[in-house]
Amino acid sequence: MSLVDDFVANAEAVGCHVHRGAAPELDGAGVSTALYGLADTGSVVLAAAPDEPRANSLLPDVHVTLLREDRILPGLDELFAALGNDLPSALAIVTGPSRSADIEQKLAVGVHGPREVHVVLLSAG
Amino acid sequence: MADLAQPAPRFREIASGKLGDARIQGALDEATDRLMTNRIAAWAGLPGVEELRQRAHEIRMEVIDDLDGHVARFTDALEDRGGHVYFARTADEASAYIADVCRKRGAKLAAKSKSMASEEIGLNAALEAVGVTPVETDLGEYILQLAGEHPVHIVAPAIEKTAGQVAELLSAVGGKWVPPELEALTNAARTQLRETFLEADVGITGANFGVSETGSVCLVTNEGNARLVSSLPPVHVAIMGMERLVPTTVDLAVLLKLLARSGTGQKITVYTTLLTGPRRPGETDGPEEQHVVILDNGRTKLLRGRYREMLACIRCGACLNVCPVYRKTGGAAYSDVYSGPMGAVLLPLLVGLEQAPSLPHASSLCGACTAACPVKIPLHELLLDLRRDLVAEHVAPWWERLGFTLWSLAWSRPLGYRLSTALARLGQPLAGLLGPGRVWSRGRKLPRFGRRYRDRR
Amino acid sequence: MPAVQLFATCLGDLAFPEAVTDAEALLRRAGYEVVFPRRQVCCGQPAFNSGHHAAARRVAKSFVRAFSRELPVVVPSGSCATMASHYLPELVGVEPFEVWELSAFLVHAGFRPLPRNAGRRIAYHDSCHMLRELHISREPRRLLGGSGAELVPFARADLCCGFGGTFSVRQPEVSLAMADDKLAGAGGATIVTSDPGCLMHLRGRSEKVGGPGVVHLATALERGVRG
Repeated sequence: MSLVDDFVANAEAVGCHVHRGAAPELDGAGVSTALYGLADTGSVVLAAAPDEPRANSLLPDVHVTLLREDRILPGLDELFAALGNDLPSALAIVTGPSRSADIEQKLAVGVHGPREVHVVLLSAG
Repeated sequence: MADLAQPAPRFREIASGKLGDARIQGALDEATDRLMTNRIAAWAGLPGVEELRQRAHEIRMEVIDDLDGHVARFTDALEDRGGHVYFARTADEASAYIADVCRKRGAKLAAKSKSMASEEIGLNAALEAVGVTPVETDLGEYILQLAGEHPVHIVAPAIEKTAGQVAELLSAVGGKWVPPELEALTNAARTQLRETFLEADVGITGANFGVSETGSVCLVTNEGNARLVSSLPPVHVAIMGMERLVPTTVDLAVLLKLLARSGTGQKITVYTTLLTGPRRPGETDGPEEQHVVILDNGRTKLLRGRYREMLACIRCGACLNVCPVYRKTGGAAYSDVYSGPMGAVLLPLLVGLEQAPSLPHASSLCGACTAACPVKIPLHELLLDLRRDLVAEHVAPWWERLGFTLWSLAWSRPLGYRLSTALARLGQPLAGLLGPGRVWSRGRKLPRFGRRYRDRR
Repeated sequence: MPAVQLFATCLGDLAFPEAVTDAEALLRRAGYEVVFPRRQVCCGQPAFNSGHHAAARRVAKSFVRAFSRELPVVVPSGSCATMASHYLPELVGVEPFEVWELSAFLVHAGFRPLPRNAGRRIAYHDSCHMLRELHISREPRRLLGGSGAELVPFARADLCCGFGGTFSVRQPEVSLAMADDKLAGAGGATIVTSDPGCLMHLRGRSEKVGGPGVVHLATALERGVRG
């Protein structure tokens, strides 16, 4: 299993929709470009920047994130090694859609953050 | 400060009330069983989990051993990035600083994401007193705030509420009936709180960890409210217990691998965020001002003594979920903030044993907590040490000390043992009427003292 | 013939003398001479667990005076075995004794149980000290299985029975609720335990509310549980 396959399996396991190549047509979706992906948890790593507002991945019901396959790292250890100490003002490691189990311990999705998360995998180069 | 002090009878009174409520017993049983089972499965799926726990313990102790140094490094690093750091020695200092930040901005509305430290210092009351309305945005905390109650579990705060009760609370807010169905309740809360995120003048969060090397604050949630609270309002305040620091992001990774797995059984929560200072030039959102309030509130007292390991706690709730006492009594019996084994140890240490004398004994000392703690805090041993302190500090009642002294004088020699037990055997008919015998026999048959084993040989 | 010293424990001596007699019988069957040092009293645990170290030390010293270091000490109690081996040496300031909990010693000695429990359903309750401090949970089950019993697992085997020494009278309501959960979780089988404290608490409650029989491990192995 390659890192990409691991990523896809884990991202789908936490409720992400994973697309390869073409982004889905989704009205009103917030779009962001991920800095990295983490294979062992299916997470996308978003760094705040002038062209990457935080709100894109927070306010809309649907969040679409673009991730280059060659930016997929195994996990947290590799992520922090790659980032070093030069951190952005906000680094968000996002794993699936928003959820809570606060009401009778039953799982509810889309509590405050996006209800739907789409990851579009782009091949390197 | 929130009401952390607890007179001696309180635990038993509140616990007894919870025991009589079959629905709460069911809710506690189901929730703790599920969270515990999830943690066990998550640990089983993590290769090298025992080495990781040991490493996590070492990282925590490394910081505790040089906490002043780490606070200084964190402060320098964050101030370099344009953040403000305030070291609060007491709960009042912390609340006053935050209230002042709000006042300077003319703030009227504060959006809060879950923070045990903010509960500990009674922040909400302090904000209300200066005309700032704090609104809890963590779903469980929001529900409790509407009910006027306190969290009863550090990870699943509204563990005892039913969907019906939640529906009533949410319906009252909007003036519109919300049916007690999960999707409807979730949508109602989402809609009600969306305005809060967008209109808040100040966003207040806790901090799961701080990284001293980079001046970063790490927030771990599933709902997204901490991200919203720390991204949308123009001011972000994070309250962080001083012991939450870790040296580097590499160390942070070790703790993060254990936190979600231990708290809910997830490999990682939906949102794990690292914030380093306010927005940078050119960014279009994010706070203009970021303040980190580093809270002491009694933690310094613990740094050098026998209880320093308690500062390693990462507030995962694993100990609550295995505790055979917690699952019967719920959290309110312990206090309005911390409960279960970690609460039974931490509270007397923060407020003084004489302010929480029954907590070290609110345990059968089964040791399940120690086995479940991801950072290997010897919780049940610390409880035993606290019991020793209760005696040494003369908080334990004089008649208890006298009783054990007399018992030990009689039982230090075979003759004294024989005489005292012969008397006890004679007095058996009365045993159910007095003292411990009376308490025992309210629910159990007393054991019969017949001919001793040693006299039968 | 090899020999052992038997530590009856205060609860064993006073409240469960038949269980101690059964433990002695098992040790003899295992091929050991059983010495009972008459100066023994108690390990000091009741005071120790309540934080009364001076009182505990006074009583624990009687253990040191009573037992020799020439022979292993065998105890039909997980909590007293833990106290005597893990905590007493530091409390009193002496070298550790060679202390064995009964079931661990019997398995170590290669003891083969008699088929006293053929056709009987038994739910074995791990006392917290044995489970988490001594890590002895297989041996009692092996012995009970060897005696022919059908072992029924508890619904939540990890949960404490609620005795906890003085906890049982400091927080009696919670203690009783924990006992009730334990009794209900036995699925109607007879409960067997290696600890006189758990035994006193669970049997006391069970007799009051009409629940399952609760028996000491030594009795279960020597005489069998009643059908």
